[in-house]
Amino acid sequence: MPTGSGWLSPAGSGRSLPGRGLLLLTVLVLLEGTVFRLGAASTPDVSGHDTKDHHKATAIGHNSTKKAFPVLDLDYGHIQTPFEISLWVLLASLMKLGFHLIPRLSGIVPESCLLIVVGLLVGGLIKIAGEKVPPVLDSRLFFLCLLPPIILDAGYFLPIRPFMENLGTILIFAVVGTLWNAFFIGGLLYAVCQIQTGNSSELNGLGLLPCLLFGSIISAVDPVAVLAVFEEIHINELLHILVFGESLLNDAVTVVLYHLFEEYSGVGTVTVMDGFLGIISFLVVALGGVLVGAIYGILAAFTSRFTSHTRVIEPLFVFVYSYIAYLSAEMFHLSGIMALIACGAVMRPYVEANISHKSHTTIKYFLKMWSSVSETLIFIFLGVATVDGPHFWNWTFVTVTVILCLVARVIGVVGLTYIINKFRIVKLTTKDQFIIAYGGLRGAIAFSLGFLLKEDHFPERNMFLTAIITVIFFTVFVQGMTIKPLVELLAVKKKQEAKRSINEEIHTQFLDHLLTGIEDICGHYGHHHWKDKLNRFNKKYVKKCLIAGERSKEPQLIAFYHKMEMKQAIQLVESGGGVKMPSAMPSTVSMQNIQPKKLPPPKTVERALPQLPKGREEEIRKILRSNLQRTRQRLHSYNRHTLVADPYEDGFDKFILKKQKIIELENKIKEMNNYLTVPAAPTDSPTMSRARLASDPQAFSVKPDSDSVPIIQVDLASPQSPDTVNVMDEFRRADQEENQGLMMRCPRGPSEPKKSEDTEGARDQQKLMRCLSDPGPSADEDEDEPFLP
Amino acid sequence: MGSRASTLLREEEIEEIKKETGFSHSQITRLYSRFTSLDKGENGTLSREDFQRIPELAINPLGDRIINAFFPEGEDQVNFRGFMRTLAHFRPIEDNEKNKNATTSEPLNSRTNKLLFAFRLYDLDRDDKISRDELLQVLRMMVGVNISDEQLGSIADRTIQEADTNGDNSISFNEFIKVLEKVDVEQKMSIRFLH
Repeated sequence: MPTGSGWLSPAGSGRSLPGRGLLLLTVLVLLEGTVFRLGAASTPDVSGHDTKDHHKATAIGHNSTKKAFPVLDLDYGHIQTPFEISLWVLLASLMKLGFHLIPRLSGIVPESCLLIVVGLLVGGLIKIAGEKVPPVLDSRLFFLCLLPPIILDAGYFLPIRPFMENLGTILIFAVVGTLWNAFFIGGLLYAVCQIQTGNSSELNGLGLLPCLLFGSIISAVDPVAVLAVFEEIHINELLHILVFGESLLNDAVTVVLYHLFEEYSGVGTVTVMDGFLGIISFLVVALGGVLVGAIYGILAAFTSRFTSHTRVIEPLFVFVYSYIAYLSAEMFHLSGIMALIACGAVMRPYVEANISHKSHTTIKYFLKMWSSVSETLIFIFLGVATVDGPHFWNWTFVTVTVILCLVARVIGVVGLTYIINKFRIVKLTTKDQFIIAYGGLRGAIAFSLGFLLKEDHFPERNMFLTAIITVIFFTVFVQGMTIKPLVELLAVKKKQEAKRSINEEIHTQFLDHLLTGIEDICGHYGHHHWKDKLNRFNKKYVKKCLIAGERSKEPQLIAFYHKMEMKQAIQLVESGGGVKMPSAMPSTVSMQNIQPKKLPPPKTVERALPQLPKGREEEIRKILRSNLQRTRQRLHSYNRHTLVADPYEDGFDKFILKKQKIIELENKIKEMNNYLTVPAAPTDSPTMSRARLASDPQAFSVKPDSDSVPIIQVDLASPQSPDTVNVMDEFRRADQEENQGLMMRCPRGPSEPKKSEDTEGARDQQKLMRCLSDPGPSADEDEDEPFLP
Repeated sequence: MGSRASTLLREEEIEEIKKETGFSHSQITRLYSRFTSLDKGENGTLSREDFQRIPELAINPLGDRIINAFFPEGEDQVNFRGFMRTLAHFRPIEDNEKNKNATTSEPLNSRTNKLLFAFRLYDLDRDDKISRDELLQVLRMMVGVNISDEQLGSIADRTIQEADTNGDNSISFNEFIKVLEKVDVEQKMSIRFLH
């Protein structure tokens, strides 16, 4: 038994770490339970104590009994609510930490299941302690505080292109699919209840409308659960966007059906007129929600245009506008989820063009953080509420519900796919259909909607809640746990991890133009035609309003290229600079063209390459580090409210300084037995000859006869990171004073013609200003140094 | 009367086009009516001016190249067969076609042929490579006039460097295919001709 022995033979810390994790978990859960007990217990005492004193004071007046001055007092009631909230959040976060310390478990069981179990434990502890379980999954709390961060995170980072391309499919699944589910489940449940009339009295009297209401609550696929599970299985983009998009867009349907049936359950009948109004209401809810979201999105984009001087609060605008959009939509009973998605999706391209890089990172991390915590809390609360909630278990009802949910989903997906495939270019295969059907998870939204039902209107509320919880548990546990192995088994296409390359971007745009042209030739006003029209409209009018400064005219391709270069710059600095390149170079440099002009070369050539990895690596790193440090010291003033250190105040002085730095760097490099020979054009310029591979340190001075210096032509055999290319470019052009374009150099020297310098320089300045306005290491790197790996 | 008759489509022609391109009968007739509406000279062929009369094509950055793609080497007129042959590249790939083991040559709308069509739009001199200059031309057309040559040059260099595996500083057709293997070309290069 190799595995058994593997477990037993202590791998030192490897064994104790999972053990520690488990211990941590149990301690936390116990702590949580006891704190609540303390809280519940101490509150009445403290409040009682206060009132007693108060009475005494008022009764006796000035002659109050003097008691000793309280040195240490326990006033839990004062801080109870925030303290408990913080404790819950802390528990959620520590749980998340804990799970990743136990590697085996997180591989088998999805996080959502574990969190529900934790919730169950905590709820159980509280119950055992005899205290009242706090009503944590209060619907207001859920809908107003816990749900928005998750949806905003989803909406802001929604991949627009696949979403739009598959919008038809998504809408059909969301609208028609949910309607089908609701009516199928509701109708059949009613039929079952009618059949059961004779046998069990509990199901008696369950009218059609309550059944349909229940059906509509349970039929909606839940975005939180889908996100939680699908995130871990890394499925391909198409399936992900289909299931996820469906879960987002079915909110409108759910809202309308829920309100419709809830209103009329009391009355008992629904007429055709009501149905018709329901359809209109659906359109209003859906489109209204999107409209509200879009309006706030545009407002946010417009606001971000003016934030160039107050970069610190930029993320706040994004969050606040989105949240207000959600609340406004909820105020009118429109679909808050769709408003939030629309807001995030609309504002994103413009806001990202306006805000600084740091704000972008902040927004990304805050959204991820909030949504992560929210998700964790929701699942824990689900567990707690399960322990707490009044349950009414009815075997027939629950089992029939579970079975019907599955059956309805499968039939719905298969039927709809058959229709949809007639209109799709890339058809959905059986495997796809299976995953879509299997991925229809129910979650906390269904529970909250059920919780919202009033007891007096719906005597069967408890039975509904029990059934809802059972379905949720079933889908999350059974389906959630088994979907990963099933995906592996069916060999479903996984997500492609590689980032988009510039090739793909260029060719995709190229193909877009091509297809638009062909569509125009055919006279066919299709997909591409309208997309092209929208893009043109966007470029002409909208971008001018919503994006500040020069960036409004920046073509998409250039923006993409900038982003890529920035990312690489940051990566380069974060990886410590010199580490990658020297170790990579020797293996990839193909010494194809060694052109020794004189004889001494062969020895030196051999010496050069092997020598580098050993001693020079340290030197390169040292040089880089010292240069990076030096640039950081240039930030003189730091004000809490400004992240702006204006690097261009000094203008030309900086430029000259930079030139000097370049020359210094080159001096250092030639000491390094540099093999970065540039075979290209100006090989006789002083810089070039200095930078050439000089075997002897005596090659400081410019040799007039440069032929004596051996030239090694470096032919990069494999596609290198573009940094190396840029290095060569850098050296090639350092003396030529050419604008490096995207290398973020400062404005060119005075020898350049004035006109181009102004325009180029001004534009570069602006570009530089924008990314340097809150400088981080990447900005400094860009500003002061050429790309020296 | 005589000229009208010669422009009407005969059944045999429809059958031939159907076999060659795979379009259905209704699609062919629809496209034929489009062809005739474009053909202002009513001589059964289209010239470059006929294409340029389409307003949206004028503002398309790749308009000229697309138009040129319809005309075979050195000719100035394209008849309906040629028109259909070019358009056939954009037909969606049917599932049953994938299964058919092609005894004849590959259908015009196979993935390779679609990519070849796109490749030829880059590679104007037909030397089976996209050189840096050709790439620069295309980039310049797509990006407009505001960007400097040097910037475009660095983008072009970067692009070639990413794609180039054999070090000839240009993109060959195989490299082109490789770069686009992640892109869903079947979907991107297909137009849903309505039945």
